[in-house]
Amino acid sequence: MREPVWEYLIVNYLFLGGLSAGLFFVSALATWLQEEGRPAFPHIARWGALLAPWPVSLGSFLLIFDLGKPFRFWKLFFTFHWQSPMSIGSWLLVIFTMLTMAYLWAWLEPEERTRLLNFIPTKVRQRIPVKVVKWLEHDLSFWRRELAMAGFPLAVSVGIYTGVLLGAVQARPFWNTNLVAQMFLFSALSTGTATLILVRLFDKKQPVALAEMRFLYTLDICLILIEFFIVLPYLIHGKLSVLAVQDALAQVLGGPFTFTFWVLFLGCGLLTPLLIELYEFKPVLLGQGPLHINPRWAITAAGLVILGGYVLRYVFVFAGQASGFR
Amino acid sequence: MAQKTKKRYAMVLDSRKCIDCKACIVACKAENDVPLGVFRNRIIVEKAGEYPKLRMSFDPEQCHHCENPSCVRVCPTGASYQREDGIVLVKYDDCIGCKYCIIACPYDARYHNPETHTVGKCTFCAHRVDHGELPACVETCPSKVRVFGDLNDPKSELHQLLASRRHQVMNPQTGNGPQLYYLL
Repeated sequence: MREPVWEYLIVNYLFLGGLSAGLFFVSALATWLQEEGRPAFPHIARWGALLAPWPVSLGSFLLIFDLGKPFRFWKLFFTFHWQSPMSIGSWLLVIFTMLTMAYLWAWLEPEERTRLLNFIPTKVRQRIPVKVVKWLEHDLSFWRRELAMAGFPLAVSVGIYTGVLLGAVQARPFWNTNLVAQMFLFSALSTGTATLILVRLFDKKQPVALAEMRFLYTLDICLILIEFFIVLPYLIHGKLSVLAVQDALAQVLGGPFTFTFWVLFLGCGLLTPLLIELYEFKPVLLGQGPLHINPRWAITAAGLVILGGYVLRYVFVFAGQASGFR
Repeated sequence: MAQKTKKRYAMVLDSRKCIDCKACIVACKAENDVPLGVFRNRIIVEKAGEYPKLRMSFDPEQCHHCENPSCVRVCPTGASYQREDGIVLVKYDDCIGCKYCIIACPYDARYHNPETHTVGKCTFCAHRVDHGELPACVETCPSKVRVFGDLNDPKSELHQLLASRRHQVMNPQTGNGPQLYYLL
């Protein structure tokens, strides 16, 4: 292929969809883990719930905007083609977004819900059927855990689907390996975790607790390690594969994407935050006491993880389209 | 009486006869109203060797109308489809312009139409074939590179060429089952 037909809108969408999946996953995990019958990390869970619906909504909007015929997007929802990852994905996105909205509603306090509803002009509000108003006033907070459980498979599906979309195309050897889907999934979960680290550090009303940071760091270190051990075999197996795959990989091994991939993604976006987080976590690992929280280091690490997630998608979208069988 | 079998259209190309005159490209553009800047067919030119021992090859190429077209599989709305006779087409009214099929085609045979914002490709001139005529590129070719016909008709010139001459398809490892046969 000479010119890429999928460009920055798709890169942004893949990043934003993954970010939402990550935010929801971490929030759901924080809800699901209980301490004395209550969510163990309520602040993380709430922030995740408040943020999760928005990146994926923006991403879906960008996706529609990228279409040659944006006003025909509805055609996606009058048919289902199980062999087309895009068809599966568009349905998944809708269901996931609706669930994140319900989950967000469940995490709002009753006053907050009333305040939100008051934003609707009185004239319009009077026209809303009483049934719907009553339904909106329902206290969903008892359902938080159930919604979180229902959302786990959806969040994982949305995270992995962004990789499957690329990986299921046999014409592009750069994508068509069985590792791309997992790489995108764990990168997505990691960017979600990093965003919550940032949000918790900047939250002045409820300063972050040590246990929360420990939870987020543990999660992020695991996710980055898993991602690293997916990227490594991706490179090794690719280099040892057939000529078409070797040619495709040459783009990050000496070709135009070498710097972006090795320095910006692998160096800055994966290994540096891993080292920072491991350093902060070291006292816990060695049993010397609680972890350090140096906000500057933590913010740097989280920012780099988010940058790495974006760069990964950039490299894959563009290098993948440039790969082929000749 | 021979049983009437299903048609399967394909094309045989004798690249050694090609002189790179590009009449096929022009005929296709005129017949199918292909916009400026995009093409439904092309001629791949390859040069090899060193002076004075030089070799140049011309390989005409277009949509291979594959047996298992990956473009049809990935299409989310079903706009890309394959006819009973093997011809792969796009229903322009159902195409949303997501460009997934352009990416999924290993032969880079599809393009984004800058005027209609849908995806375009070679149709084997289905509108002509249905009336018993030949595709425009076949009819126009001055050096008779192209032979179009029904694979399932033993009396067709295409069938006889494939039975008697050695041939190959491009990049069979894609698994798509391409149906443009190049004589060796």
